[in-house]
Amino acid sequence: MANQTKKKSGKGDSFSYMLMLLPAVLMLAVCSIYPFLWILRYVCYNYNGFTATYTGLANFKRMFSDSLFWHSVGITFEYAVLKLIFIIPLALVIAVLLNLKMKGSAVFRGIYFMPTVISTSIAGMIFAFIFATQNGIANAALQALHLIKSPIPWLNSTDFVMAAVTILAVWGGLGNYMLYFITGMNGISTDVYESAKIDGANAFQTFFFVTLPMLAPVLKVVLMLAITSAFKDYEAIMVLSKGGPGNRSMVMFLYIYNLIFGGTNTSVTQAQIGYGALLSVMAAIIVGLVTVVYMFVSKKLDHITD
Amino acid sequence: MRETHAVYSRKTKVMLGICWALLLLLAALMVFPAIYIILGSFKSNAELLVGGTKIFPSEWRVDNYTEAWQQANFARYTLNSVFLAVGVMVLSLISSTMAGYVFSRKEFRGKTLIYSLFLAFMFINVGSVSLRPLFELAVKLKMNKSLLSVVFISAGTGQATYIFLARGFVDSLPRELDEAAKIDGCTFVQIYRMVILPLLKPVIATIALLSFRQGWNEYILPLVFTMTNESMRPLTVGVNMLKNAGDGTAAWNIMFAGATIAIVPMLVVYCFFGRYFMSGMSAGAVKG
Repeated sequence: MANQTKKKSGKGDSFSYMLMLLPAVLMLAVCSIYPFLWILRYVCYNYNGFTATYTGLANFKRMFSDSLFWHSVGITFEYAVLKLIFIIPLALVIAVLLNLKMKGSAVFRGIYFMPTVISTSIAGMIFAFIFATQNGIANAALQALHLIKSPIPWLNSTDFVMAAVTILAVWGGLGNYMLYFITGMNGISTDVYESAKIDGANAFQTFFFVTLPMLAPVLKVVLMLAITSAFKDYEAIMVLSKGGPGNRSMVMFLYIYNLIFGGTNTSVTQAQIGYGALLSVMAAIIVGLVTVVYMFVSKKLDHITD
Repeated sequence: MRETHAVYSRKTKVMLGICWALLLLLAALMVFPAIYIILGSFKSNAELLVGGTKIFPSEWRVDNYTEAWQQANFARYTLNSVFLAVGVMVLSLISSTMAGYVFSRKEFRGKTLIYSLFLAFMFINVGSVSLRPLFELAVKLKMNKSLLSVVFISAGTGQATYIFLARGFVDSLPRELDEAAKIDGCTFVQIYRMVILPLLKPVIATIALLSFRQGWNEYILPLVFTMTNESMRPLTVGVNMLKNAGDGTAAWNIMFAGATIAIVPMLVVYCFFGRYFMSGMSAGAVKG
């Protein structure tokens, strides 16, 4: 009954596969399923790490009136949009140029991908040095080029912090998306380019009428990856700006982190785990909704282009 | 192989030249932060605090490293980072190759369910919250003072991708190999050990590198677990703690040296094995 496969396996085999699967399943149970259930349990509790009291719907009420949370949701959207509108076109153009197989393409590709092996936290720290107002090299370089008169307070001004955050995000993520696009383009047959050439298409026409449509399926998957991962970024921001100044760069997962762990380096002094658990469920739902909306829209677009 | 386009007109040549120059400029911008931090780590603290556009140090100092190594406890941090990275790598390799093999070759009840659970939890992301119950669990099991718990959790949260990579690779191996080995009297485990595993080398290299990088670069997880336990911190946490602790003007030279120690090993690994990183990333994206 348990073994309906046509192959007759020895008695030991039916247990050995379970044993082989055990480490992975154990880790899944402990590291993913258990925390997930734990979070659901505390959604209606007020829990500071020591004592938990049941508070009914109080957390829900608080969530709907918590302007800082909805502010952080807004910042998350702003961050995701900023990251995507720079990183996707740039990665696409780079992939196209590298696909021309000019001299040194392999080296360029290696260099563009390099930031992805550097720890996001260390990258955040490096950019904090680069964007330092007084002695940072970004300001020094801009002043030496006479592009700005006085130093820009990158990380201390609500006007510039998102620019700094976006630059870091693009720097750190560009290589990934470039690589996805290059992989996608390798799947396009060269015949198509040949015939485009024979028909007398120039470089731009080839890009818009051959490469882009042929790349559409890949582009769709990559965009979805890009959107969901942009919503989940907070490690680099946590190091670069700590969500400041004045919560200007406070993305939702960073806000939740502060609630869950409190501590001296954050804006929240006492951990509010129950409330944080509720917000994290809400955040997961928001990411899920965005994904669903994206899938719906991209499907609609399919029908139009067909 | 390179020359697919036969002849370039003069105009295209100019255009390509401009494109090439732009690519070069971008490459310079991309490597700049790493170069800046590495060269800066040889500057004196005074020079770093003054700033300016000079990238090369006016006077090369190695003292920053000796100071970081001795006073700021970086020897310990480095050791912890190595332990964490190697631990995550070993655990990920063991669990993902075995699971990938079983998922590919064995039919059993609940297989689809388990497999889709792996898939689902790749997308359900509740951020840092899941670290709280895991930390409390570790305290209960008295494992919170050991880096092993960090290794376990890191491997656990990253394993799904590696399992997909391994399964995809095993799927691509002909089943006739298994059949032949079976006829020769191999058991299910022996087939894995003697037939499949040796053939998995490319994907093992990819998983090893990706998981090593993951362990080495892990930040929030060890941060949470080492809040009160300084001697357990890996480099990522140690360097950032230094930044938070100081009043900002304190010891840039030490922080630069620390950041350099944290990124250079990864960069060296990347220089040698960049190919595998890239193949892993693109395969993961296509399958995942």
